[in-house]
Amino acid sequence: MEGIAIALAVCVGVAFICRRYAIPPIPFYIITGLIIGSAGLGLVGSSDISEWIAHMGLLFLLFTMGLHLHPGEVAKRRGSFLKAGLIDLCINFIAGFGVAYLIGLPLYDAVVLAGAFYISSSAIALSSLIDNRKLGFRESDTVIWLMVFEDIMLVLLLIILASQDVSPLRTVGIIICMAAILFACARRFTGRIRLFFAREDELPILVVFLSVVLAVAIADLTGVPDSLLVIILGSAISLAASDRAEAVARPFREVFLVVFFVFFGISVSFSGAPSLVLLGSVIALAILTKFVSGVLIGKTIHRRALSGVDIWADTTSRGEFSILLALLYGSPAVVPVVAALVVVTSCVGSFTGKYSMRIRRWCGNVTSGN
Amino acid sequence: MGFFHQVLPGIGTKYELETDSGDIISVIFMANGRVQLYTQPARCPDCYAADLNPMETRRLGNVLTGAIMEAEEEGVEIAFSALADLRIAVHTYIIGAKLAGKAIGDLDIRSRTGVTILAVSREGKNTVNPRPDFRFVAGDAVVVIGESDQIRAFEQEFME
Repeated sequence: MEGIAIALAVCVGVAFICRRYAIPPIPFYIITGLIIGSAGLGLVGSSDISEWIAHMGLLFLLFTMGLHLHPGEVAKRRGSFLKAGLIDLCINFIAGFGVAYLIGLPLYDAVVLAGAFYISSSAIALSSLIDNRKLGFRESDTVIWLMVFEDIMLVLLLIILASQDVSPLRTVGIIICMAAILFACARRFTGRIRLFFAREDELPILVVFLSVVLAVAIADLTGVPDSLLVIILGSAISLAASDRAEAVARPFREVFLVVFFVFFGISVSFSGAPSLVLLGSVIALAILTKFVSGVLIGKTIHRRALSGVDIWADTTSRGEFSILLALLYGSPAVVPVVAALVVVTSCVGSFTGKYSMRIRRWCGNVTSGN
Repeated sequence: MGFFHQVLPGIGTKYELETDSGDIISVIFMANGRVQLYTQPARCPDCYAADLNPMETRRLGNVLTGAIMEAEEEGVEIAFSALADLRIAVHTYIIGAKLAGKAIGDLDIRSRTGVTILAVSREGKNTVNPRPDFRFVAGDAVVVIGESDQIRAFEQEFME
């Protein structure tokens, strides 16, 4: 337990400093983990308890992500949502896959790395839009819905990776049945669920925690990944009480996620990592491909390449979902690459998010030849 | 033109109004109760933003809807259009040495000026509808209500 106490105490200090200077704390939690963990000083190692808490952090992250995947709202989106999402997916996923191939990873690991390379950090993007007062721009709407598209792609990727085991049809079948039952219940009992979540007492909190723990238990019984179950559960609840459920799940997510990030850093070992030059070029490419996709999206959706600079500035950070893919499905060869990718891109991304207006003005001057 | 509204997953709800002159005003209600207000003038690439807490949001809304006709630093005037445009002003004052130790009834405030002392706040404690024998202490904050002429009379009579 003292390991968790030390790690959390350092993280509270880190969070305090980050909030003060309005920078995203996620990369610094990981750096903290790297410093105190096996890659650094070796002060703290992971234990069963820390792994359980970190796993709960991951599940609550996915549960709240599911709450943002309201099927009706997503279905209402028009062509621009699909166009932007597909440009982002094609460029970054294929580039990520190429990178993995160059490093010499086997197919399965290459898919995991391509996913981690593709998916931006919603947490960093959204807080950058709020903190840097950019919600008024049309480009911000594009960024927010791009995050939703990436979430949906993450669900598909999780299904693909999960069906790698012995009986893919059985796994996919169970997932579809579960989704059908949960969505039918949520539709049928919308009013009651809403009333239940409006309660002021401890019951909604207990039920949210219970349902996430229950998802783990069902996952153990059926062999379907709990990560998928909690996303489906969140998406079903979003039909009835998205805002309240998020308010209830938030404290769990905040606490457990910090443990998740710091113990990810603690567990990383760079012994199997590729050379620094190779790592550096992977990271540079990750920033570059998001720039290319951003500019293309800007041109397609907003008819201005400069809008793409804004989109790039807020989507260049990789974060929680990249780590999640590496932790759940990555081999020891993938984990250090993703750790370096997340730390560097999210530091760069917090900078570009903060100064996107200046960067855009500068890009405008350069392209117009002044 | 009407408000265009859309859900922003993970953020809240956005309302956007494009005015006839082409300026864009967007209001974003966030999950934590705060509101961000943006104005983007036509033909200007920059956006100007304000981040408001719920109280500030309500104040701004009141001013925009015209519920408050006149907002001074220490007072507000409210118009009730249902009551033949009755206008009532509410004002606060700090009691000075001149009134200290005197009772409301002895000062004859209502019969001399027409205003009513609605409440007194002393060291964080509020007394609503103080009785005529209530004695002021220097530093009391009082809330008076009346028509603006009556408030002006009260100011001249007792506060100067």
